[in-house]
This record gives sequence, structure tokens and C-alpha cells, in this order.
Amino acid sequence: MIATSIKWTRHNLFGKPFDVVLSLLVIPGVLWLAYSITDWAFVSAKWGIIVQSLRVLMIGVFPADQAWRAWTASAIIGAILGAGLGCVFSFKPHHGLVLLLVPVLLLIVHGGLGNALPATGTVASTILGWALTSYVPLSRKVLPAAAFTGFIVIVAIMAPPGVGLWGGLLLSVLLTLVTSVLSLPIGILLAFGRQSRLSSLRIICTWYIEVMRSVPLILVVYWIWILMPVLAPQWGLADVARGMIGFTIFYSAYVAEYVRSGLQAVPRAQTEAARSLGMSEFDINRSIVLPQALRVVVAPLVGNVLDIFNSAPLVFIIGLTDFLRAGQMILANPQYGDRTFEVLSFLLATYFVIGSMITYAARKLEDHMATGTR
Amino acid sequence: MSAIVEMKSMNKFYGTHHVLKDIDLAVTRGEVMVILGASGSGKSTLIRCVNGLEMYQHGSLVVDGFEMPVEADRRLGGERELAQIRKGVGMVFQQFGLFPHKTVLDNITIAPMRVRKKTREEAEATAMKLLDRVGLRAHAHKYPGQLSGGQQQRVAIARSLAMEPHLMLFDEPTSALDPEMVGEVLDVMRELASSGMTMMVVTHEMGFAREVADRVVYIDQGSILEIGQPDEFFDNPKNDRARSFLARVLKH
Repeated sequence: MIATSIKWTRHNLFGKPFDVVLSLLVIPGVLWLAYSITDWAFVSAKWGIIVQSLRVLMIGVFPADQAWRAWTASAIIGAILGAGLGCVFSFKPHHGLVLLLVPVLLLIVHGGLGNALPATGTVASTILGWALTSYVPLSRKVLPAAAFTGFIVIVAIMAPPGVGLWGGLLLSVLLTLVTSVLSLPIGILLAFGRQSRLSSLRIICTWYIEVMRSVPLILVVYWIWILMPVLAPQWGLADVARGMIGFTIFYSAYVAEYVRSGLQAVPRAQTEAARSLGMSEFDINRSIVLPQALRVVVAPLVGNVLDIFNSAPLVFIIGLTDFLRAGQMILANPQYGDRTFEVLSFLLATYFVIGSMITYAARKLEDHMATGTR
Repeated sequence: MSAIVEMKSMNKFYGTHHVLKDIDLAVTRGEVMVILGASGSGKSTLIRCVNGLEMYQHGSLVVDGFEMPVEADRRLGGERELAQIRKGVGMVFQQFGLFPHKTVLDNITIAPMRVRKKTREEAEATAMKLLDRVGLRAHAHKYPGQLSGGQQQRVAIARSLAMEPHLMLFDEPTSALDPEMVGEVLDVMRELASSGMTMMVVTHEMGFAREVADRVVYIDQGSILEIGQPDEFFDNPKNDRARSFLARVLKH
């Protein structure tokens, strides 16, 4: 064992003179970096600020006495996401254990049940949703309807204190979900429109896509925020809704381009075979071309979801308090001025964990979609 | 003796390239017509015109009582005739054209359910009967990717038959197959021919042509050079180019 590791080290790290120099520089450097980070994270850092500000980070300026509304909403979101995951990837008990680490960690750090309760609720409902669709395949059939109802409930339950008060990680997640779900059908329609035989439709769709892809997201969001009250003053749309519309308008163009690349990847022979069976163009596109096209572009589409989530902080431009902005708000308090690293590290870690979970789910989704291909 | 397909001085161009030149051809009901010719001669294009996968520019083409619109009319929306024709005409392709994301059974039932508005039970019962006929009942719930080329092509034939066509078009159905699988597909086609199905077959299988065809058509550079009984054509071709074509393909 020791002999092989010495041999491995010799071969891989000290094989040539240049390797020796490189190893002598890099190995101590990495060790020092690891030591400093560990030392800071476990000795110097005062993580108490995260626990104290957890509510603000998670739900922004949502009133404290109404927080149960936001926690219920996040539990519903957890259940929907878990149930969605269960459709493509079976739940195993050890997944539950990993997820439960979050509330357990909170419990240990904070030493009180009150603060850990919302996290426990969200994690528990995620596990429940995941297990339900994993073990009861029949429940998958009602998922779209259930998810839609769940979303209505979320809006209904979060609206009373004022839609303008939505914020924190919850807002980031909601924005990402709404944008992803709405931009998919719009993007698909745009992609088909761009290939349409009607030249007017084709030109409109092409223009829309090209314009949206050549301007910055932040500009579109700001512009829609200003424009909506002018176009539809009677609707009195809240900032949050206007932000979601801006994001959806922008990201639909990107979805359209991904879907178009998928449509082009479907062999012409597929359309010809379907045509020769007498199928209508609508049926061909819906049942033959689109499923095969979407299968090809699962990875870029999920990348798009990740992109939406990571762009969510841009909503600060219209005065919303997303996750990142909530972190900045905490740091704006002079009392916490010296905790910059703690707060930013927490933001970084959370973004990283959520992003990794999205890509992980994407891999599982790709495996699931690969049915019928060798 | 009524013609199911009737072409009268049909012409097709790809841009300025004249692909089909003044084609006059009639296929009788119940007839098996094999179309021969070198690659690039226009034989695939000819049968692809019959179900409207290719458009023609001049002349006329009547399929199963419906007049196939010429290109200029189709651009203006002659889609109704097209749908009518396609319902009654099955087509089998060189590359099978099975839908890879659907099981064998779903591949067969989708068109009868969507186009003929059959219930799932009806469509599946028919599909299972057809799978029996092509010897693949046991593979109903597999995906096309799990089958061999020969099996896929038999599924493709069953899929076309599920629409109860009056006419079947075969576009080089065995050209993409490994040699040992050619036989099983030809057997199914032979059985189909003997059941009285009208067939237009583009193939390079000379043995099949000679045995099964009622008439053989030889095309070269977009023109029909010879039409005749298979024995007559193979033993005593009148046209020089047909003779040299046969000499080339029958040598081995």
C-alpha cells in the first residue's frame, strides 16, 4: 500500500524536473490555502450572523409575524420540486438523510427548535413529494395539476401582506420556477414559428429572438418594469410580476434557440415517415418531432434554468430584494459591517449547492429521457 | 382493369435539373410493379411523387381517384387532396423511419388513432394482428433501437399496413440491411404481394423482381426506357442501356 503510493507519487508528481518544481510550489500552496480556510471557517468566523439573519436571507423583508405564510410557501415549493424529481429519479432513504443534514445542522448551531422549524418543514415536504412520486407512479399523472394548484396556493397565501414584500431566496426560487415554466412553451412556439412556412410569422419570431438575444437581460427587465404600467395601467401589476414577465420575455428567446437546434437535429426521414402515414403537420410536430427534439436539448435547457437562477439578483434594478440583495442588506447594518466574509461565503455556498443540485437533477433527467436509444 | 396510379407526361425539376421527363405510367389495382434503374436515375423520386413527398411541376398524377396537385397549387394550399391520398398509400423507406422514442406497438398505433380516429383498443388489436403477420408479436413492447435492421423494416411494413392502404410504396426497402436480413423482409413483401396488395417497389433485388413483379419498369436519366413482363425484360431487354444495366447488376 505505502510502496504503491510512493511509486504513484514518484511517477506522477516527481517524474520530470519540471514536475518536481511544480509539485514543490503547488503542494505547499494548496495545503496552506486549505489550512487557512479551515482555520477561518471553524475558528475565526462568527457564523452566528447567518443564523440570526436566516429569516431575512430566506424571505427578505417579509414581515416576521407573517413569516409562516412564506414558510408554508417554501414547503409547497419543496413538495412540488421533490415530486418532480421523483418522476425521473427514484427516492432512496440515504437521499433523505443528506437533505435532513440542513435542519440538523441548524439545530446544532442555533440550539433551538424555532429557527430550524421552517427548514425542517421544507426538507420534510421535499422528501414526502419525492417519495410519493417515486413509490406511487399513479401520482405522477396528477402532478401537473397538483403543481399548478400548489402555485395558486402559494400566491394566495403570500399575497395578503403585500406582494412587494416578497424577497430572499424564496423570491429567487419563485422567479426561477415561474420563468422556467413559462418560457418553455413560449420558446417552443417561437422555435416552431421561426421555421414556419408563413413568412410573416417567421420574420416576427426571428426578429423577436434576435432582438432579445442581442440586448442585456437587465435592460429588458427594467424596460418591461417601466413599460407595463403604461401598456396596462388597469392591471396594476406588482413589481414581482413585472420582473417575472421581463425574465420570461427574455429567456423565451434563449429557450427558442435551444429548441430550434433540437428540431434541426431530428432527421428529415422522421417527418417523411409520419407524413406518409397521413399524419397532420400539427400531430407530426407534437408527437414525433418535438419529443425527439426536446430529448436532445435537455442539457442546454437545464443550463438555462441555472442561468435564470444565477441571473435572479438582477431584479435589484426594479427594487426587489432577492437572495443576494438580502445578504447585502444585512451587511448594510453597521453592527454587522465586519461580517462580510461570513455572509458572502454563505451566499456562495448556497448558490453552489443549489446550482449543483440543478445539474445533478439534469443528469438524472437526461438518463430518464434516453429511453429507446441504445 | 382500373388504374390506381396514373401518370400522364409528368415532369419534375430540381431547380433547372430535369429529374423526371414526361413520365407516362399506369399501375393497375393488385399489380406489383418493380422499378429498376441505376442510382440517380430518378426511380426513388418517381415513387416519392406518388404520396406527395416530392412535388412535380407539369403533367398530371392521379392516385386512388384523387388528383395530386402540382407544385404551384400545393404552395397555395392543396393539402386536402394530399391528406386524402396519403391515408390510402403506405410507404416503406430505406432507413425504416421508425419513431425511436415510441415502442413498436405505439409506432404502429399512432397513425390509425390520430388519422383514422380509432380507439386505442381497436388500433392495438389490429397492430398485434399485423405483428403476427410479420412474425414480431413478441417484440411489441420493445423500442426500435432494440431490434435488428430486418426486424425494424418488418415493423415499418406493419406500421404502413395498419392504415389499411390500397397501395404500398417501397423505396429500396432492403438496401440498408445486412445481407442475412434481406430474406426476412423480402418474405414479408412476397406474402403481401400474394395477398393481392398493389405495390410499387424500387429495389436492387433482381431475383425478387423477377419472381414477384407483374411488370418491370426500367428508368434511366429520368425517362422510362422499358416496361414489360419480368421474364421478357430480364431475358431479352430491347433497350441498349437496359441491357448494359442488367449486364452490370447480374454479373455477380
